[in-house]
Amino acid sequence: MKLKVAGAALAVLAVAATGCGSDSGSDQGSGKTTITFWDNNGGTRTPIYQELIKRFEAANPSIHVEYVGIPISSVQQKYDTAIAGGDTPDVGGVTTSYLANLTGQQALEPADEWLAKSSVNGKLATSMLDSVRKTVPDGKLYLVPNTSNMDVVWYLKDKLQKAPDTWDEFFGSADELTKKPDEYGYTIRGGAGSIFQILAEMYSYSGISEFFDASGKSTVNDPKNVEFLTKMAGLYKKNTPEADVTNDFPKMVAQFGTGKIAMMHHNLGSYNDHVKAHGKDKIGAFALPTGPGGKRTIVANPVDGFAVFKNSEHKEAAWKFVEFLVSHDSNSYWNEQTGQIPANTDAQGDSWLQGLEHLKTAVETLNDPNTQVVSPPYYLPQFSSITKADTEPLFQKVLLGQMTPQEFLDTLAQKLTDAEAEWKKATGG
Amino acid sequence: MSADVMVRTRTRTVSAGTRRRPAKRKDPGRVLRLYIPLGLYLAFTLVPFYWMLVFALRPAGSTDPVPWPITFEHFETVWNDIGYAVFFKNSVIVGVWSLLFTTVIAVMGGYALARYRFRGRNLFMVVLLCTQFIPGAMMLIPLFSIFKSLGLINSLASLIIADTVFNLPLSIILMSGFISAVPFTVEEAAMVDGCTRLRGFLAIVLPQLRPGLIAVGSFAFIHTWNNFLFALMFVSKQDSFTIPVGLSYTIGEYSADFGALAAGGVVAALPVVCVFAVVQRYLVHGISAGAVKG
Repeated sequence: MKLKVAGAALAVLAVAATGCGSDSGSDQGSGKTTITFWDNNGGTRTPIYQELIKRFEAANPSIHVEYVGIPISSVQQKYDTAIAGGDTPDVGGVTTSYLANLTGQQALEPADEWLAKSSVNGKLATSMLDSVRKTVPDGKLYLVPNTSNMDVVWYLKDKLQKAPDTWDEFFGSADELTKKPDEYGYTIRGGAGSIFQILAEMYSYSGISEFFDASGKSTVNDPKNVEFLTKMAGLYKKNTPEADVTNDFPKMVAQFGTGKIAMMHHNLGSYNDHVKAHGKDKIGAFALPTGPGGKRTIVANPVDGFAVFKNSEHKEAAWKFVEFLVSHDSNSYWNEQTGQIPANTDAQGDSWLQGLEHLKTAVETLNDPNTQVVSPPYYLPQFSSITKADTEPLFQKVLLGQMTPQEFLDTLAQKLTDAEAEWKKATGG
Repeated sequence: MSADVMVRTRTRTVSAGTRRRPAKRKDPGRVLRLYIPLGLYLAFTLVPFYWMLVFALRPAGSTDPVPWPITFEHFETVWNDIGYAVFFKNSVIVGVWSLLFTTVIAVMGGYALARYRFRGRNLFMVVLLCTQFIPGAMMLIPLFSIFKSLGLINSLASLIIADTVFNLPLSIILMSGFISAVPFTVEEAAMVDGCTRLRGFLAIVLPQLRPGLIAVGSFAFIHTWNNFLFALMFVSKQDSFTIPVGLSYTIGEYSADFGALAAGGVVAALPVVCVFAVVQRYLVHGISAGAVKG
């Protein structure tokens, strides 16, 4: 009897477990086309997309969009698993930092033909479109830009009255604003994400316009870059907290939020956190200071946008959704909520953007003909690993005085030069 | 041993006990040796939890070390805006089913290993141990393909099955140790009295396995509860994610909501803390029993 009871219990467990989930295609039979959209930074942006999807579905009653928020920390792994398993979404949020990886797996549909016929043709920022095309070997547009970002130095207005124009002024301010025992002029990002920031600072200081010279050798270890890194590493513990050696962006932003740090290099994306901590009026931002001859050089941030996946069975509906997302109203709404730079040029002129000082500065800086933009080699498949796992611990050694800036930059330059040579060989360049 | 000797022995034990007790009270070194290290260790362990509570309960923008005035806005954010209400329900479903499957199968597997001598038994044990060295990430794509062909992608069943499979090797080994500790002669006696093997097991052995069942069940539940990788990879539906995925939503690309992160951490940790609080007595006994007998 008990044997029967146990068997029945197991059967019930099995049936119940398999019935726990619900499969997709819930709109089958209603005549609606369902497309799946993966947001590559799920969480804080979820309500923004939910609103946009509501508007899209109201305008397109025959299409239902199923939203899935993917945590930013695991988005690459999620895409890789989905591609390997043949279960990709119709539309996905993608940035240029891993675009080459996705196109390398032939997962994405080029957008060039669609864009030529689309109503948003000519309305998307040329610099962002160029940045996307440069990321892939065949120069096609696999990602429709939605937004971009720019590195800025955030500062507390009650501590720093005038934003520095040059790097010398910046180092002077960092020193003046340090008041022992616990007030510091600056905070260095020594942990995760440190390399991109230090690259942006070095190229801004040196004014070098390319990551590689004509022979394919990396310019990272140029003497001017070494000079800058030596100065910056010299700030550690003198004008920055000692804990900076492990600073990733959440820690850095949290430190800045305490009001004990006068200046912090990050990007436009952390604006809302600073406002929450200090209030809108107390926060200021300036573009990274100018280099030699007063010329401003900025390292291009990854472009974030939307890609249609090759496996999609509803490509027409997918493109329609992408077109809606980058249209003037949607793009303006999205970027207003996130505090970033719209890709749609009509949205760049909207009144909300003109009212936000830091964004206005960023757009003006990017559109200034005197601004020189350096494009990092996002197209290198190893770029992410070189600038993260391979060299972040070495940068910590520089801060701790266990490695010289010259040794560090030579190592980084060699890795980039090797990766560039390998990529050129693979693409016949 | 004569009754006289037994009485003397008891007397010695009692008198030794009464001699030691006042000595303990007078020992000033005891504070140094016991309470100070324990207090320091407790502080070291609990300070991070305290900070989690501080961040979860104080208003956004506050830097006070004490959460006052207390606010529940972060809990509202994670529960309503981020969707913890759904994620929590899913985590409970996956955790409970995985616990049940793991425990039932581990009892059956453990019994076979403990009571039967068959060819390849030792090899099987070694293989079970070896599976512990395989990281879950390595199995992602094969499991994904299998679940896809079975139509289980986007279903909580895929998480229940995957987590159960990964919980089983250690659980079977542990359970085999517990069952070996119960003498087979007891079962034989039951069978002599007319029980079938199953009835003998259910009536005689199973009640003695309570610490083992609790140890295995709680391990399975906690492991499943905390599993982020499978929860994200096998599910691509917003209303089928579990708590660990929801927790990672609080850290974005350029910003982090520490209040929501801490509140989410409290919600995620609470069931695990409760499980440990209830079963820790059995758990310690269970781990040590399973570790030395096999």
